[in-house]
Amino acid sequence: MSSPVIQTEGLSLFYGDFQALRNVNFTVMEKRITAIIGPSGCGKSTLLRVFNRMNDLVEGVQVSGKVLLDGQDIYAPETDLLALRKKVGMVFQRPNPFPISVYENILFGLRIHHLADKRRGELDRIVEESLKSVLLWDDLKDRLANIATNLSLERQQKLCVARLLVMRPEVLLMDEPCSALDPMATARVEELMQELKKNYTIVIVTHNMQQAARVSDDTGYMYLGELVEFGPTQKIFTTPRDKRTEEYITGRAG
Amino acid sequence: MPVRYKLKEFLFETIIRASGLASIIAVGLIFFFLLKEGTLLFQTQTLGDFLLGKKWYPISEPPGFGILPLILGSLLVTLGAAIISIPLGIACAVYIAEVAPPRIKEILKSGVELLAAIPSVVLGFIGIVTVVPWIKSTFDVPTGLTAFAGSFILAFMAMPTVVSIAEDALHSVPKIYKEGAYALGATQWQTIYRVVLPAAASGIVAAVMLGIGRVVGETMAVMMVTGNSASMPKGIFYPVRTLTATVAAEMGETVQGSDHYFSLFAIGIVLFVITFAVNMTADVFIHRRRK
Repeated sequence: MSSPVIQTEGLSLFYGDFQALRNVNFTVMEKRITAIIGPSGCGKSTLLRVFNRMNDLVEGVQVSGKVLLDGQDIYAPETDLLALRKKVGMVFQRPNPFPISVYENILFGLRIHHLADKRRGELDRIVEESLKSVLLWDDLKDRLANIATNLSLERQQKLCVARLLVMRPEVLLMDEPCSALDPMATARVEELMQELKKNYTIVIVTHNMQQAARVSDDTGYMYLGELVEFGPTQKIFTTPRDKRTEEYITGRAG
Repeated sequence: MPVRYKLKEFLFETIIRASGLASIIAVGLIFFFLLKEGTLLFQTQTLGDFLLGKKWYPISEPPGFGILPLILGSLLVTLGAAIISIPLGIACAVYIAEVAPPRIKEILKSGVELLAAIPSVVLGFIGIVTVVPWIKSTFDVPTGLTAFAGSFILAFMAMPTVVSIAEDALHSVPKIYKEGAYALGATQWQTIYRVVLPAAASGIVAAVMLGIGRVVGETMAVMMVTGNSASMPKGIFYPVRTLTATVAAEMGETVQGSDHYFSLFAIGIVLFVITFAVNMTADVFIHRRRK
């Protein structure tokens, strides 16, 4: 059986005076897909951004409680923030490849972490491998020099995943990764997620309950900053314990 | 539609169209006048002698109408100003757009705007009393009235243009690019120079070109501090004279209809062509950015 990769203990988060997370105890198991669902403003994206400390960029943010990644508290003062973000990659709601070539987008992570001073052939191999693992190689192998922002949104989003994979992360955070995509593209990205699950631990935030039901192994339902219920997806969607979860799942609330 | 309305519509349309065309007509007339007067010089001089002649002796006998020293003077002063103002301006824009806390950002932005509001003659006399003596003593040259003094003063005139347009370009870089870079573990500096600057590149080039356009056309301050020596420039620490300063200094003393008079118009054409080319380049980059 797999072991926990991320664990939060009594996690609370404030934006100034506003409490966005209330005493959250959340567990992400290794090489599984964990979904966080809930209505807009419930704190699901905030929770996701705790795991790679993207919340640090917001002014006046305060975090209390523990967030453990492989048993280490990532909010401890000695944490190497840049190494953390290398280990915990993130895919955003709007695909955000950089306005440079496909090739350089993929190598961006290696370059900023000074891991790219290798021979050209080696870099070519890395690019090919990462594009293959997101099922883009056949589409893009002749267009590596093209500016990435001119690709279709689906390809852009997959490229954003490929850009993470070259850094060999442990965890992939996905913040509503399909909300800018059409249903067909969404299906293909979900397929990709199943593929990635073999090697990576994935946490996905989604406002789309069917998506959570389709792709995830575990699901947490959040409401007003609280983790109301957490468990195997099957169980959350068929026999929720909490009334609030049930109302949301059945479409009566949220 | 009643006739009354039709007439009104027609009237407004005509007025607006006329206002719109007025600026183009003005430019056209100015250019035509410049061309008409300037080309009369070439009844007695050849274009080659004019552009490449090394002697500017417009009132000697025989006169010399070679503007190469003036072109080189302008070039030298502009180049110097660009070397100072481009890195400084871009760095300032990066600081304002990416690094400065909100309060300092506001102060700096109004400061830069204030710099643009200083009349060039004021910058000129500040240059005469501070920069010029400083250059004379620091670099141990016979006079501080040099190309370098001009570059120095003009750099500060170009700064507001460079800073405000470059800052605008940096500011309009989508936030999602920056988030993406940070999420990959980039530092702030890596994010700026690997993502934000390349994304804003065409806007920054436009900022630089418009700044240079400002410098090439500037007259008053540069006339006051560069020493007004219309000979071939020997270096950055020697007096020079620019195209603009020549026209400003000599126009009042020339006889209308003389070759000297026509030559000043011809200089005007040269200046027009240079600034037009610079601004066109800037325009190309601005439009590329919008695409």
